[in-house]
Order: sequence, then structure tokens, then C-alpha cells
Amino acid sequence: MLSQGAFEGRQEVQSRLVILRVAAVACFAAIAVAFWVLQVVQHEKYGAWADKNYLRTIPLRAPRGVLYDRNGRVLVENRDSFTIAFLRDRTANLNAAIARLADALGLPEDEVREPIQRAIARRDPVFRPIPIVQHATLAQVIAVRARKLELPEVDVQQVPTRRYPTDGVAAHLFGYVGEIQDQQLGRPEFSGLDVGAQVGQSGVERIYNAKLQGSDGRRNVVVNSVGREIEPLGQDDPIEGARMQLSIDYDLQKALEDAFRFAGYGGSGVALDPATGEILALTSLPSYDPNVFAGGIDRKAWSSLIQDPLKPMTNRLIQGTYSPGSTFKIIMAIAGLEEGVITPDTKFTCPGYATFYGHTFKCHKQGGHGTMDLRHAIEQSCNVYFYNVGDRLGIDRIYKYAAMFGLVGKTGIDLPGEVESLVPSTEWKQRTFKEKWYAGETISVAIGQGAVSVTPLSLATMMATVANGGTLLTPHLAKAFDNGDGKGWQPFVPPAPRSRLTITPDKLQAVRDGLWMVVNGAGTGGRARIVGYDVAGKTGTAQVVSNQNKALATSRGMDTRDNGWFVFFAPRDNPKIAGMIMAEHSEHGPNAAPIAKHLIETFFAKKEGRPLPVLPNTVKAGAQAPAAARGTGARGTGAPGGGGGGGGR
Amino acid sequence: MIVERRLSAHIDWLLVGALITIALMGLATIYSVTWDLRPGFDRPGPQFWTQLYALPVALLAMTACLMIDYRTLTQQSLVIYGLFILALVGVMVFGDVRMGARRWIDVGRFSLQPSEFGRIAIALVLAQIYGEGRRGAKSFGDIALGGVLFAVPVLLILNQPDLGTAVTLIPVFVGVVFLAGLRLKWLAVAAIVAALLSPVVWMFVLQDYQKERVETFLDPSKDPRGKGLQQIQAKVTVGSGGLFGKGFRQGTQGGYGFLPVAHNDFVYSVLAEEHGFLGVLVTLALYLFVLMRSLDAAKLAKDRVGTFLVVAIISGFAFQVVYNITMSAGLAPVKGLTLPLMSYGGSSLVATFAAFGLILNVRMRRFTN
Repeated sequence: MLSQGAFEGRQEVQSRLVILRVAAVACFAAIAVAFWVLQVVQHEKYGAWADKNYLRTIPLRAPRGVLYDRNGRVLVENRDSFTIAFLRDRTANLNAAIARLADALGLPEDEVREPIQRAIARRDPVFRPIPIVQHATLAQVIAVRARKLELPEVDVQQVPTRRYPTDGVAAHLFGYVGEIQDQQLGRPEFSGLDVGAQVGQSGVERIYNAKLQGSDGRRNVVVNSVGREIEPLGQDDPIEGARMQLSIDYDLQKALEDAFRFAGYGGSGVALDPATGEILALTSLPSYDPNVFAGGIDRKAWSSLIQDPLKPMTNRLIQGTYSPGSTFKIIMAIAGLEEGVITPDTKFTCPGYATFYGHTFKCHKQGGHGTMDLRHAIEQSCNVYFYNVGDRLGIDRIYKYAAMFGLVGKTGIDLPGEVESLVPSTEWKQRTFKEKWYAGETISVAIGQGAVSVTPLSLATMMATVANGGTLLTPHLAKAFDNGDGKGWQPFVPPAPRSRLTITPDKLQAVRDGLWMVVNGAGTGGRARIVGYDVAGKTGTAQVVSNQNKALATSRGMDTRDNGWFVFFAPRDNPKIAGMIMAEHSEHGPNAAPIAKHLIETFFAKKEGRPLPVLPNTVKAGAQAPAAARGTGARGTGAPGGGGGGGGR
Repeated sequence: MIVERRLSAHIDWLLVGALITIALMGLATIYSVTWDLRPGFDRPGPQFWTQLYALPVALLAMTACLMIDYRTLTQQSLVIYGLFILALVGVMVFGDVRMGARRWIDVGRFSLQPSEFGRIAIALVLAQIYGEGRRGAKSFGDIALGGVLFAVPVLLILNQPDLGTAVTLIPVFVGVVFLAGLRLKWLAVAAIVAALLSPVVWMFVLQDYQKERVETFLDPSKDPRGKGLQQIQAKVTVGSGGLFGKGFRQGTQGGYGFLPVAHNDFVYSVLAEEHGFLGVLVTLALYLFVLMRSLDAAKLAKDRVGTFLVVAIISGFAFQVVYNITMSAGLAPVKGLTLPLMSYGGSSLVATFAAFGLILNVRMRRFTN
């Protein structure tokens, strides 16, 4: 029964052969269509995929642009550093290879294993070399090279690395470079960069990173499925970053830092060309050694820098704000004269105190300065005189002049992280505290106290503006760039002046005379006097804590000694240099003056081709002190340090 | 035994030419893909030479299968079949273990895979049972007998384990039963039963790695670095070839090793990469021509035994070709299944040519009695 139903008749064989034939043709037609879809319709997609499979690009790091000083002296250049890298795809026995490498390098195995395990965890492609030791010592390089046959999976790569001056000069100015951070990867300023790129993280390195970094090259290679390089496919050479000329004068920079070191203070200082806004020297102490970063800083060194109570990573010049103290009287004098509330001959009498709006405000001289005009008030730094000027001006006119001389907001210097300076106004108080301004508050502002809080650099900008007769320039470090495009050095175009006030000449002269008398008369700046160079300046004291809190803060181990200011320009009548010295915990402005003196002396000596002045013992001291700890070392001699600075004058 | 002159005049030289052409194209592809890229080497791999030496052996085997009248062979098919079963058992006992499977027997310098020759033995025995024209329609008992004869070697090969080869034997049986006139509705019933049984097979028969392969096929992205790699890379290899291909020895996928076992299971992917869609069309046409000429032989055969013998052989061959080419484009689950005539493998080449020797044999003797 089943046998009857299961099979067709025998004549069926021929027709079934036809069925097989048709089935075969149908199958092959379907296959041909499938291949058509893959190979013709979707070819682009799979072609690109295949290219991605076997073409690898290996980045070649570009050397960063060399930094020069204003005289063409090389300040920051590049050296070749050695990275010892591990090639995962060349070893069959990872553990044995790690043990051999650790032995050759003289490192514990864990230190070799850790970066390899991280690369595996990150799912890095096997062909990507894993850096084990960056900035390897010569001994390590030799050890690895000598055992090349035993260590086929180890590669020594030459990587261009920044070399900063070894004495740590101008660390805050240069900044440092480091690996790009995750949160920086998306930003437009770092577009086109990938993980592992070295970028400027601070200072000029950061601000001008786009110019300095050049463009990394790449080597294209054909690799097989396990990532082994089979053949090179050409190479795009890295393009070195633009060369940059800074406005800095190395000798002045050195003089500034030496003078600080000699005086034994931390703090900040800057000198600039009042005609252009170019910065000639700039420092913030204590500082750090940027070479440590270029060499790949380790966690311990980093946290000790960050946790150092002296804050070596902070650029005090632009990141610290202080009360300007008596240096603010310069603004008061100019505002009073220009607004016509006083003339150079206006006299006030100082009995040692003055009373305004029911409050008594003291002068620093017990018994008073007596009766004096503006020049002598500046020379003697008489508080009472300027209380009166301030009372006549009112806060908003003070604010107006402070802004015109750069004491409001940022100076705009080409360094990262600048904070804003503050001089109060009625509008500011309303906005900040929702309160009206009381006229009595103006009296404190008149001597640079109260809410006034400015960066050291803004005071230097103020002095440059006084020196050039009222043009507020943007202080800057860039002087010229050579982009390597064959056009040679192209001058940097600084921002246009932010304000232009033409101070009436006789009024300007009165202020300059007063400032000259501070240094060359009976004033507080005598330690900056240089015969024949008419240094003009003003000292000031910035309280660290108020008198009421001093005892408490001291008991907690804080250094509560006041900070001393000295702001200056020279010569009086056609100034070539202007600047500011802020000596932390030097207690009085006069102790900052000798630092300025050495700086100004060096400036003129160099200008006139004379031998540069030398401070006793500084060369040795500078060479010995480790850069990162320099400020700490210097601090020990803090109190008596000011004494010797004047060289007996 | 000498082939009479009037017989040799009926040899299907076109078919022979097509077979040799395909084999030479396979040889060229193996030459290309096994090329040693290490500096200073610059030569094809040892697989090329093995395959090159196997080709004359294969032609000899084909000639041998031509000379004996196929009816003599079918009459002795039970003996041949018995020898084949013995060989399989021999492999089980004495065979070499390679890549986790016991498939090879060493013969002097060479090693043989007896299972490659199974198709011939099974084709002979099935042709004898179903093609013997004395009786009318086949009974269900005939199916059962054929099924048992078919199942024994399949189980032995599965035990090696070599699922791929075992699977290629199934179409031999199906083809013969179909030709014998099994009503289509019974084929449909068989298909339904197979479908119903598949979960059972999945649960109890398939090994874990085989299940993984099927799962990976259904979703290759699930494991793009492991099991799904071959399938994805096969598509990339074929797709990147484009219309005209990358050129001989210019393939990057096969040449740089992104496609595993490129000289073997995936030889066709490499051909598609290097010679493009045009190369694919040419080879597809050649394979189709081989099938058509073989079916011609089946039609022209002077007796049912001959017809059945040809269909038995060609069914297994066609299935393997279609499956391998589909797989080489990443469109079928990856299975250790080679492409007859083209893939690397001496035993396979010799066995394939020997099988076609029988097809030539049937056509050649269509006028003899």
C-alpha cells in the first residue's frame, strides 16, 4: 500500500532530471544575484571596511616650535627623549616577556605589567606599541638595546620632548606640556587631536598651543591580521610647530628671579615696555620645573606640587588678587587732577588722622605730615591727603580712572587663567550686595583698601599707562612668529589700546615728580634709587589678614606678615621700563624696592652695553636650589632678606 | 583492462576541460593566498605544491574510474561499500587527530581522508539498489534499505567528528530517492518531519561549537571578534572585490590573513576578492556547465543504474558547491565544508575527479551493451 503511494512511475525519471536541471539553474542565478548585491551594490561599504582592516596609521609626533627671547636667544627647545615600548603582537608568552623586560630595565615586574594590562583592558589594537618607560634613562636604553635579541618585543622610540631652561627660569611664563586630557578632547581649540597628543597645559605653551604644536605626521603601513607590519606605504612627515619670539629679555628675566632669590621672598614681578605693552620679564615664585611635566610627571610629584601650601602652581601675577594699598594713590592723584577737584598745588593738612562722616581715619604717621601739596603727599604717601581727594571725587569717578588704568577686569595678557581685578563702584555694590554705596566707604578705597582687590599684573599695567601718558595697552608676551611657511618672522600684532587718555602734561608731570621723590627724595622707595636714572615709584602694603584676625591666624601657623608692593617706571621723563614687584610677607613696600632696583639696573646696563650687575652669591644659590622647591628654600630667610638688597644705599 | 578506441571517442572532453579549468583556477587562488609575505621569502606556501602534485594524481584516478565499466563497479558496489566502511573504522582506530578531529590516515608521505571517498561508495551502492530496472516502482522497503546503507557511514563520519562531510552525503541520498520517483508530497512530509525534529537535533545532537556557529550566523555582530569574525570578514572580502576585483595577488583580505582558512574553506571568497564579480560569473558558469553536462550524461545513460549513479554523484557535488559558495559570501553558517575542485585538499581533489570519472564513464558507454 505504502509502496504503491510512495513512488511515481518510472517514466518520471526523465522529467525529474529536468526538475533537477531547473533547480540547479535557479540556485546559481540566486547566487549570482547575491554576489552582485555584495560586490557591486554594496562595494563601497565593504571596500572601505577592507581598507580599514589592513591600513594602519602610526602617529609621528611633531616637535613643538622653539621659543626665543626678544634678542633671539633660545629659551625653550626640543630634545629627543626615549620611550621604551612593548609590542604585544610580537610575543607568544606575555609573562616571560614581561619578566625579561623588567629584569633588563631594573624595574619591578608590576610596573611593566600594569601599562600592558591597561592597554589590553582598553582594547587597544594589538599592533599599537605600549609605552612602558617614557623618558627612559640612557642606561635603560642601552640595557634594552644590548639585549635586542632576547627582547624582540621591545622597541625604543625617539620622541621629541620639550626642554626648558634647567634653572626653572620663567616657569609660569612658559607653562608646560602634557598629554591631552579627556575633557579637552572635544574642545574646538584641540580639534583634530587624538588621545595621547601632547598639548600645552599652561602658560604660553597653552595660549599659543595651536601655533606651537605643529602637526603630527603619520606613517601608513600595511599590517596583517595579527597587526604585524608588512610593508610601509609612505609617510607624512611631522611639521614642526611655529617658532615663536617672546618679548621677554632673558637677562632681565634672570635678573628679576635672581633678585627675588637674593632678597629671599616669594611673590611676583613683571617689567614691561610702557610704549608697547611688551613684557620684558615676568615671574611668580615659588614656581616649578616644567621639565618635570615634559618628562611625564608621576602622581607623587604632581600631588606634592598641588598640595604645597606655598602654591607653586599658582601664577601669583595674574591669579592672585591683593589690596593695592598705597600704590592706589597714583590713581587718586591722576583722577583728582583730571577731574579738577585738586591741582598740583592743592594743599591739605595732615594732623595724623581725619574725620569723615562721623568716622575717624588714621594716617600711618603719628602726629601727621603737616600741610603739603600733591607732590609731597605722594612722596610721603600721606593718607589724609588722599582721603580728601577721594571724598571730593566720589567712588564712581575713582572707578572710572581705575578702569582707564587697567585696574578693573582682566589685563588681557596672553597667559591662561587670569582673574579679574576689582575696584568698587555704586553700580557694583548694587549688583553684588543690592545695597547703595555709602560715601564713608570711599575713604578706605582712596588709600587702596576696602573692596579694592587687584592682580599684581594690573598694577604693572597701571604704571605702564602712567609712564606712557595715559594709553592703556594690553600686556603681552608674543613678539613674532615664524610659521615655517617661508615668509620668515611675522610680527605679532597686539590688541589695540583699550583706552586712551591724554593726561594734561603739567598734571602728569606733578604725579611723575611725586613718584620720583618717593625714590629720590624723602620717600619710602629709596632702596630703588639709581643715580642718573631717575627711577620713579611707589611702595604699598597689602595686608594678608586684618589686624583683628592677625592673632588668630598666626596661632594657626599662617604667615600673617603683610605683602610689600613696589611699582615703578624709569626714567621719570621718558620712561623705557615700567613694572611692579610684589614681595610676599616682606611686611613693607620698601623691602620690595631692591628687587626692582636690580631689575632696572640690569635693564639700563644691557641697553647701554655695560656689564650686567651681579648680586653676590646668587649664581651659586640659583644653581643649587631645586626649581620646584626654590620658593620654599628662599622662604627660610624671609624676614631679614630685605636688608641687603639695596647694596648700602 | 584497455579502453576501446571507440569508447574513448565518446569521452566528454568539454566536461573534462571545464573540470581542469576550475581546478587550475583553484590552484592559482591557492598560489595567491598562501604567498609568503615575510621579507626574503616571496614564494607560495606549501599548500600550493601539495595541490599541484595532487592534480595529476586526480587525473589518474579519473582515468582509472573511466576504464572499468560502471556496471562492473555497481555490481561490486557492496564490496566497495564494505571496504569503505572498513576504512572509516580504521580511521576511528588508527587515524591521526588534527584540529580535534580524527579524519586522516597516513599513507607514506601523504595522508588520506577516507570520508572524502564516501560519496562514491554510497553513490555506487544506491545506484545499484534504486537503478536496477527489473522491478517497477520502488517499495518503501527499498527506501529503508538504502537509508540504512546510507546511515552507517554517515554516523561513522559524524563520530570523527566531521559534520560537514556527513552533511554532504545527505543530498546524495535525497537526490537518488527524488529521482527514484518519491512523490513530492512525501518529500514535503520528510521536510516537515525534519523541521519538527530540528529542536531535538539542536538539543541532543549538535555540539556546543556547532550551536554557536548557527547562533553566530543568525547574528554575527554578537561576537564580531570571535565566531562571527569569519562570516563578517567573508562578506568584507567578497564585497571589497567589486566588479573587476583587486587583481591577482592583490587581495588584502586573504593575502594579509584577515580571512581565516582562506586557502581552504574560503578559497572562493578570495577568488571573488581578486577577480571581482566578473571572476565570480566565470566560475559560476563553469560550475553550472559541469552540472548541466553531468545531467546530460544522466539523461543519455543507457540504463537506470547509470542515470542513478550520475545523479547520486552530482547531487552531493552540487550541494557542496552551492553551500560553500553561499558560505564564502557570508550568507550561510560557517561550516568546515570545502569547495570541490578549488579548495585546498588533495584527497578531496582526487575523490572529486574520480567521481567525475564515473560520470564520464556512464556517458562514454551509452552505446555499449
